[in-house]
Amino acid sequence: MSNKILALLLGCTLLATTAVAKEHPGKEHILKNGYQGPKTCEECHPGKAKEFLDTVHWKHASKVDHVDNTDPNTEYGMKNRIYTLCNGNDIVNNLKEIPANAAGKRKFSGCNTCHPGDHINDVGSTGAAAEQAIDCLICHSSKYNYGKRKPEKDSKGNVVMTQDRSTEAAANIGRPGIKNCMICHETAGGGALIKRGLSMTAKDEVHISKGIICVDCHQVKNHKFPTGKDPNNWANDGVFMTCVGECHTDKPHKDADYNKHTAKIACQTCHIPKTGGASSKDFTKWAKQENGFYEPATLKHEVNETNPVYAWYNLTVSNTPHFIGPKGSRTDGKSKIYPFKIYQGKGYYNKLDGTLLSMDFAPPTATGDSLAGVASAAKILGIKKYEPVPGWQTVYFASSHQVTPKKQALICSSCHAPNGVLNFKELGYSDKESDKLTNPEIYFDKLFKIQQENEW
Amino acid sequence: MKKLLSIFIVMALVAFSSLSVARTASAEEIKMIGTISKIELAADGKSAVATLKDNKTEQDVVITITDDLTLEKFKDHRIVEGDEIRTKYDSEAGKNISKMFKKTAGC
Repeated sequence: MSNKILALLLGCTLLATTAVAKEHPGKEHILKNGYQGPKTCEECHPGKAKEFLDTVHWKHASKVDHVDNTDPNTEYGMKNRIYTLCNGNDIVNNLKEIPANAAGKRKFSGCNTCHPGDHINDVGSTGAAAEQAIDCLICHSSKYNYGKRKPEKDSKGNVVMTQDRSTEAAANIGRPGIKNCMICHETAGGGALIKRGLSMTAKDEVHISKGIICVDCHQVKNHKFPTGKDPNNWANDGVFMTCVGECHTDKPHKDADYNKHTAKIACQTCHIPKTGGASSKDFTKWAKQENGFYEPATLKHEVNETNPVYAWYNLTVSNTPHFIGPKGSRTDGKSKIYPFKIYQGKGYYNKLDGTLLSMDFAPPTATGDSLAGVASAAKILGIKKYEPVPGWQTVYFASSHQVTPKKQALICSSCHAPNGVLNFKELGYSDKESDKLTNPEIYFDKLFKIQQENEW
Repeated sequence: MKKLLSIFIVMALVAFSSLSVARTASAEEIKMIGTISKIELAADGKSAVATLKDNKTEQDVVITITDDLTLEKFKDHRIVEGDEIRTKYDSEAGKNISKMFKKTAGC
């Protein structure tokens, strides 16, 4: 038997062992003793609960050092940010029972519905009670009964978020699967396919079709999640990731010409040619729904339905009341061209200082009165003087998911043509350079040769 | 006379085929928002039938679901009775087959 075959057999045996070893080693202990929340986890994983309280998933905020007009000593995130995708945050839209609508119906609503605590121990809370309130299983259990996680009022009238702490859920734990992530990330920003048009299915994302799941790329250490640097997602755990690493090199193509592009073109530009989700929302106009409640008027799009915009991005962010987006240029030596989902939102600005005003969704959800939402938010935030005037804000979101199969990625002629996806003049190229860059002269012979080889 | 008859037959055929196309198109996709009153999973777990009360008409609409993602959501109770759903479905031969089945609620 050759060494190669021996190595292959050994590899298969190891893979089989790994597959079997996926069952959590503490399963028998949990089945025998039951699950008492994080303190059960801590029997074998001491310190993990306290560690989790210092992450973005718990705090919904972090310090940021790459965004204009931010204070380096303040933490920013969905806890406190005001921008027009949400127009509210965990503070003004704290989970609560909203007032009755015209039909007398009420419901619970709030930005922190997805926070993995029990709401009594809420965003950024600390201490022993907070540690024991962590819903470890919502991220780690493959048998979590999501029907058991819902907001309700306790005997004191406090809104609490219940959890599935069943032995069955606890006995089936491991690395988070796709559904553990998507239970929150699928409906971010006000519903399915709103924020980014995020769909992590084999049909819509090539990594998933190859069996690669969210945490294979977002390789978590000590509950800290590496992310990219999205112009609009500021909060981070201090660890960052790119496509280059364990799976892809910085020269990932067989074709040297494609590899030359990687110095100035981000991987996403060619490999994520479409985007989706809401393109605009008007928070000054709330539309009555069939259920009698109101929602901000929103132009929605399906997954991969819309085209991205392309811009130079040096991973720092311009942040003004009317624009949140990438900074960078062709000449700064740090930027690459990235694709972005562009979004425009209308809200109320304070005429007195030009800042974007926040909105508590409870009043307009019940009655459609957007200014009542602004008044409620101002009260919560202690803003006494304001004059609301409507205005638009443009926001660039990174387009980093929905990676397409290789054969559907952009090719030479997708960009280097007069009707190509890149507007070279807007990207800082002269007329002469743009003419050259949009002429087939630069790739004709190469593509023609490939075409001839593939023809039969 | 023969020519006139031919023209009439052609026109009639065109009109009939247009009507057929229109009827097919209207049967292709119905959109609805409604609240789930009942979910019945098939024993083999490969399909489910959900009854929704249409918010507009207040009529019960029975929809068959076969896509794995939604079935998984039924199984682990990410979608439960009482949830409000935005759905698109095909209505064919007296059966409503789901093409999209998502909760309306977001954060």
